[in-house]
Amino acid sequence: MKIALVGNPNVGKSTVFNVLTGSNQQVGNWAGKTVERKSGMIKRDQQTIEMIDLPGTYSLTAYSQEEIITREYILRENPDVVMAMVDASNIERNLYLVLQILELAPRVVIGLNMVDLAESSGITVHTVELAKALNVPVVEIVAAKGKGIESFLTEAIRVGMLPQDPLQSKVPYLVEIESKVQAMEKLLANNTWATKYPLRWLALKRLERDPEIGQEWKSSTPKPVKGKDKDACCDVGDGASYELQKTIELPGEELLKKYEEEGWNKDHFEMAFADAKYQYISQILPKIRTHINPSKPTWTDVIDRWTLSPIWGYPIMFAVLALVFWGSFVASAPLGGAISQGMAWMAELIVRLLQWGHAPEFVQSLIRDGIFAGVGAVLAFVPQIAIFFAFFSLMQDSGYLARAAFLGDRFMQLMGLHGKSFFSLVSGFGCNVPGIMATRTLEDPKDRLITMLINPLIPCVPRLGVMSAVVAAFFPGSRGTVIMLSLLTLSMFLVMVSALFLRRVVKQTQRSAFVMELPLYHIPTLRNVLLPTWQKTYSFLRRAWTFILVASIVVWVLSSYPQGVPMNATWAGTMGGWLSFIGAPLGFDWRIMVAIVFGFTAKETTLSTLGILYGVAANASQSIAQAMTGAMTPLNAYTFLVVYMLYIPCLASVVTTYKESGSLGWTSFGVAYNLILSFIMGWIVFHGGLALGFH
Amino acid sequence: MDRFLGDLKSGEHACVESIQGGGAIRRRMMDMGIVPGVELEVVRRAPFGGPLQVRLKGYYLAMRRGECAKIVVTEAREEQIDPVDKSLSIARPLAGR
Repeated sequence: MKIALVGNPNVGKSTVFNVLTGSNQQVGNWAGKTVERKSGMIKRDQQTIEMIDLPGTYSLTAYSQEEIITREYILRENPDVVMAMVDASNIERNLYLVLQILELAPRVVIGLNMVDLAESSGITVHTVELAKALNVPVVEIVAAKGKGIESFLTEAIRVGMLPQDPLQSKVPYLVEIESKVQAMEKLLANNTWATKYPLRWLALKRLERDPEIGQEWKSSTPKPVKGKDKDACCDVGDGASYELQKTIELPGEELLKKYEEEGWNKDHFEMAFADAKYQYISQILPKIRTHINPSKPTWTDVIDRWTLSPIWGYPIMFAVLALVFWGSFVASAPLGGAISQGMAWMAELIVRLLQWGHAPEFVQSLIRDGIFAGVGAVLAFVPQIAIFFAFFSLMQDSGYLARAAFLGDRFMQLMGLHGKSFFSLVSGFGCNVPGIMATRTLEDPKDRLITMLINPLIPCVPRLGVMSAVVAAFFPGSRGTVIMLSLLTLSMFLVMVSALFLRRVVKQTQRSAFVMELPLYHIPTLRNVLLPTWQKTYSFLRRAWTFILVASIVVWVLSSYPQGVPMNATWAGTMGGWLSFIGAPLGFDWRIMVAIVFGFTAKETTLSTLGILYGVAANASQSIAQAMTGAMTPLNAYTFLVVYMLYIPCLASVVTTYKESGSLGWTSFGVAYNLILSFIMGWIVFHGGLALGFH
Repeated sequence: MDRFLGDLKSGEHACVESIQGGGAIRRRMMDMGIVPGVELEVVRRAPFGGPLQVRLKGYYLAMRRGECAKIVVTEAREEQIDPVDKSLSIARPLAGR
């Protein structure tokens, strides 16, 4: 049996899904789209049920990815029953989606969630009346507390197994519209399509000139194998992808033209149908809901008075962000350090084993200096990412993230971006990987792509660490602060300019609408915070570890061979020599070029690489930086910092960009853009500096 | 003269008359409940020219001033936002153009 879970965003679908499927979930992407796909297996009474958590959506048109996916799934996969989740505090708007679903899917069960929250605001929904009005079973749930979820499922299974489709109430349209709909129904009744889809729905869509009806789709890949073992939680599981086989011209073209002459074009029909649904909801609303004290302020109102206040809103947001940053990047440092040490200890152990087994020296070096060093460097910042995700889930589920988007939108608008990009960009200061992953909240794929591509331009904590060490060595005292600020200002400026530039490149002609819901605040459940954190961290590791492993080995090979020669004659050194012609206009010698190339795998290692290349045997970044003052002028150092800050996202973020965008082309473009931009800026800075008389 | 949602101050109530323009933005607004005839209240305006927060049917939406400048509004007909008694509603003539 196949069950689909649909509903508005923020309505609690994921809570129900997580409770029912537990760890039997598969998380991936919908084929060809960058929206997350979650499916899971449930067993009840010897029956296996595949449950799909469709993306939260407000409607079932074809304008956003979420809508398209939801509609396509219901149309093409024919779930046995649809579980529609409705927020009791928000029933008027939620029912709009439900009415659309009812037109499309014959078997629906409504889950009325957050009944407790509604009660505390004085709202009571009369489930019996609602069920009568729509002719659909209604189950009350408080998903956060686990109440009613099992009954919800039981009712859905019961409806799914009914011998015949239940009869449903129809949304009444105004007489003149109803006649047009029925005229279209008559035309389509004899078409083969009428047997596949509900006739009324087909007629409505035809009148709207919906582009997707009339298309014949075929499943092109077999569905994922069911019943994976419990540990495989986050498989790719891309589901079936579809191939367009043919497009059938549906009848009704002349009728449509006739209506257009009368002034009824497709937009008019769209509006009429939407209006009729809202009217219908208004009509039944008094029967199904009582709202005492509607003007009494809710908890959300009270909290928003502070979080959205013109005076306190920004300081509060600043404090929240500071807390998130502190928790993710400072407080987690011991964990990261522990992992580094653990990795080093394991490396030693394995090397000893190899020595005992008389393995050749190069194998020992490969293991210790290549694999463990490289992989260890990246693994050490996994705690940072995991903790950050936890905070992110917390902010998203509680509803605060929308407030941050509200406050940040003005600044995002200047860059042509959406308010929701704000959090993603600010996160980039901590680490680009969660910053890029945070773009998931953006609905428009072009907004997402632009935000992803400019994210690496924001200097992350590892980069800032290296930068501050170099700045402190070359520009001691208060000069250092000025230099640091100038670098940050430069990166902000480039972020803004790049955002505007990329809009042209990505061809975003129409700015996406900023029409965002500010959901009611509620306390997220622990499971809803921890489960996605685990899933995201796991999926990041899964994707990244092969790349990191390969890259580490390559770096090791390049810097160790041929053996026994001085640094500049190794393959790495030779490569640096070739590249020095690029670096020469910026005053970079081959060592810096090598450090830049190697910095790709993990930015923190740049300084130690430089140390090795300059023959400085020291451990602390400060001492390496000090030692470098002998080999470089301050202008050189500044140019280096500019390039280093901008030049390329670290390997982990490139992998993440690829995974989130799904496009190798755009990921490569992003990398190339960063590279070229950084070197151009470096050149400007170097020659500008020379011209101004610095040295 | 047309009054637009973007002109309203915090705390003002209004009734949507029509949405200018078309395409995805209008559809999006309709999906979010902004249809001719709906009552809404401007809760606050973000500083520095940022978005507006409006309340309608018991939930909150944030919209940029540019979008609010396309929504034509008239005087609110009822004071309450979530009236229990909707008997005053009449089937509105379509405002779509």
